[in-house]
Amino acid sequence: MMGQALVRAGSPDPGSRRRPGHQVLALVLVAAAYYLGAQLGLSLSLVDHNVTPLWPPTGIAVTAFLLLGRNMWPGVAVAALAVNLPITATPLAAAATAAGNTLAPYVAALLLERVGFRRQLDRQRDALAIVFLGALASMLISATTGTATLAVSGAISSGELPGAWAVWWTGDAMGVLAVAPFLLCLPLFWELEPWPTARWVEAVALLVLVTAVSAWAARSEAQVLFLVLPVLGWAAWRLQLRGAAPAALIASLVATSSATNGSGPFAAESLAQRMLTLQGFNACVAVTSFFLAALVSERLRTADALAAAATERVRREHQIAETLQRSLLPDRLPQVPGVDLAARYVPATADVEVGGDWYDVISLPDGRLGLTIGDVAGHGLLAATSMGQLRMAVRAYVLQDPAPQAVLAGLERLVTQLPMPEMATLLYLLFDPDTGSVRYANAGHLPPVLVADGQSTFLTDALVPPLGVTTGTTFLEASLTLQPGATLVLYTDGLVERRRVSLQDGLDRLGREALADVGVDALCDLLLHTLSGPEPAADDIALLVVRMIPLTGTPLALALPAEARNLQEMRRAVHRWLRDSGIADDDRNDVLIACGEACANAVRHAYPVRPGVMELEARLSQETVSITVRDHGRWRTPVHRGGGWGLQLMRGLMDSVELVTTDAGTEVTMLRRVTAGGIG
Amino acid sequence: MTELATVDAVTLDGTPVVRVSGEIDLSNAADVMEAIAATLPTNATTVVVDLSDTGYVDSAGIAMLFRLAERLGHGRQQLHLVVPTGAPIRRVLELTNLTSVIPVHDTLRAT
Repeated sequence: MMGQALVRAGSPDPGSRRRPGHQVLALVLVAAAYYLGAQLGLSLSLVDHNVTPLWPPTGIAVTAFLLLGRNMWPGVAVAALAVNLPITATPLAAAATAAGNTLAPYVAALLLERVGFRRQLDRQRDALAIVFLGALASMLISATTGTATLAVSGAISSGELPGAWAVWWTGDAMGVLAVAPFLLCLPLFWELEPWPTARWVEAVALLVLVTAVSAWAARSEAQVLFLVLPVLGWAAWRLQLRGAAPAALIASLVATSSATNGSGPFAAESLAQRMLTLQGFNACVAVTSFFLAALVSERLRTADALAAAATERVRREHQIAETLQRSLLPDRLPQVPGVDLAARYVPATADVEVGGDWYDVISLPDGRLGLTIGDVAGHGLLAATSMGQLRMAVRAYVLQDPAPQAVLAGLERLVTQLPMPEMATLLYLLFDPDTGSVRYANAGHLPPVLVADGQSTFLTDALVPPLGVTTGTTFLEASLTLQPGATLVLYTDGLVERRRVSLQDGLDRLGREALADVGVDALCDLLLHTLSGPEPAADDIALLVVRMIPLTGTPLALALPAEARNLQEMRRAVHRWLRDSGIADDDRNDVLIACGEACANAVRHAYPVRPGVMELEARLSQETVSITVRDHGRWRTPVHRGGGWGLQLMRGLMDSVELVTTDAGTEVTMLRRVTAGGIG
Repeated sequence: MTELATVDAVTLDGTPVVRVSGEIDLSNAADVMEAIAATLPTNATTVVVDLSDTGYVDSAGIAMLFRLAERLGHGRQQLHLVVPTGAPIRRVLELTNLTSVIPVHDTLRAT
């Protein structure tokens, strides 16, 4: 009981919150609608005002109670009394009949609310509820009250009672079945997704057709009323309740009107037979329309839910694979003075899969770089995870022995043990930025492009089959020297393979476009733009560009995350710049240590809360090296105390050290006269 | 241990010698100290840390060496360093006055 009370408290009567003025207006409108509906019903009587096969007011009353609240009952009661007074023997009998006519829809609405009826009529249980509870069961009340009153007032004999009762009951029930769904579907036109114009055209065509077919069938001597049913099926199938309810109402009204006139299939029949034919037809119309409409609505919802779930799954898998892939690619490339590096990874967009493409740049402790680019065949999560394993394996093997043949041989042994569904191609280069020397080996990957002296060359040497194809491969090694200004372009097949374009054409275009005289980042963008064209990429693209740049006379600029593990990379870069600038050994060491201390201070003090960047600039002019180390943080301790030994060393090693701290960060400027010109 | 430096220990004429090869900076100073301490026996009165193959030491490395000397001093052990004359790190040791606190030798034999 508690639960029911709560449920009722939680879902108040829709009419209870209406303002008094509106409430009165609603009552008047309901009463007027009921009265007009009754006049329509009376005009459809089979014999004078006695036998009414379709009593629309019951449908109007049920709808009013469902939509506006059961407190609309006074409107219904007053209208029912007004309708019954002129056609009933005594006022008392009219009042009794009106009470039954009010109580029946009231109980119908109550029962429907209790079973959780949805007025959208979009579930089979709603169709069942309105047929059995809303129409057949509840209308027992009005039929019994009405015919009992007739019998008591002497209007009918006790022998006529069963027939009168049956007519009354079916008439009221049909009133609910034909009218209530139609009225209930009206709010759906602004509640549900609006129809496009084509849908409206179809709806109008359907209603015209159902009118025409039922008008013809109901006037034809042939027994062809059933022809209306396929049209109703169409309406329910295509438009659900918003099409089925109006069509069913039209069909029922036309058939009932025809039965009233005794025309068509109803001409030769007795009253009882006419009644049976008509009610049978009307029942079929209602049940067919609403059950089919509910069934289709349910199926559409299920299909929508399934489609949404499937789309979501595909989207999620793609998102996971892409996140994984991006997390497996280097978050930044090492900064090596004299070497420009740029890389791109573009996931395929033509389908939602991702591939196993990757690139990597590995800094070796001795300053050399391991460059890899590879492609695990296949798509999706498995390819992406295999790629991640391979990438880490390359890193491990390179740190162990960076020689190209050793790395590829190690990988081949590993690949036979990985759960890799397919093969993988891999190109590995060992690059020494100090000398420009490049040693490489290639397991089935597309040849890298060397751009030097205005010419493109594909490096097709040292090529063996992809990993995972055969075992016991003898790996080959080739070498070359990258001269200052020369560029290497490493790429995966997504860059050069296009639909309707041969691979050779793609490679030729790459060879031509790679000649462009632009920076490495611009070259990456240019290649992606010109080679992939406007259509979305069908396959992933990984791209890595390396260029040797002459250092002599150029200032050095570095920016690295201010973390202790990056100090070594920074020192190496400064060391190389100092050496290439021809600074003598002793000077070089002193400057290097001072730089190390300035950067270590930024690491230690600049970013106590959030991580940040340290920047270093070095230039040489008039035999003086000037170093600027900058951070954008706020030091925990004042600069003069935070420096400690670091500051002491910097002052000891350099000719001048200047520290400036502002809100924007701290800048250390150090000068040192050096002996330049010697080649270290 | 760390990528930046390796630590290995030998005993030379009864004296434990720890050789540090590579570079010592803020990123690995604490690890290097732990690695050195772990290899040293507690019964020797003199211990030698050989920095001949150490190419770089920053202020964090210097602080580490001071702490190591202090820690060994508690156990009545004397720390000696080997840093060749003219080695790049020698200047750092001198500028931080480390040479006045910890005996520094040119070669291993000189210890």
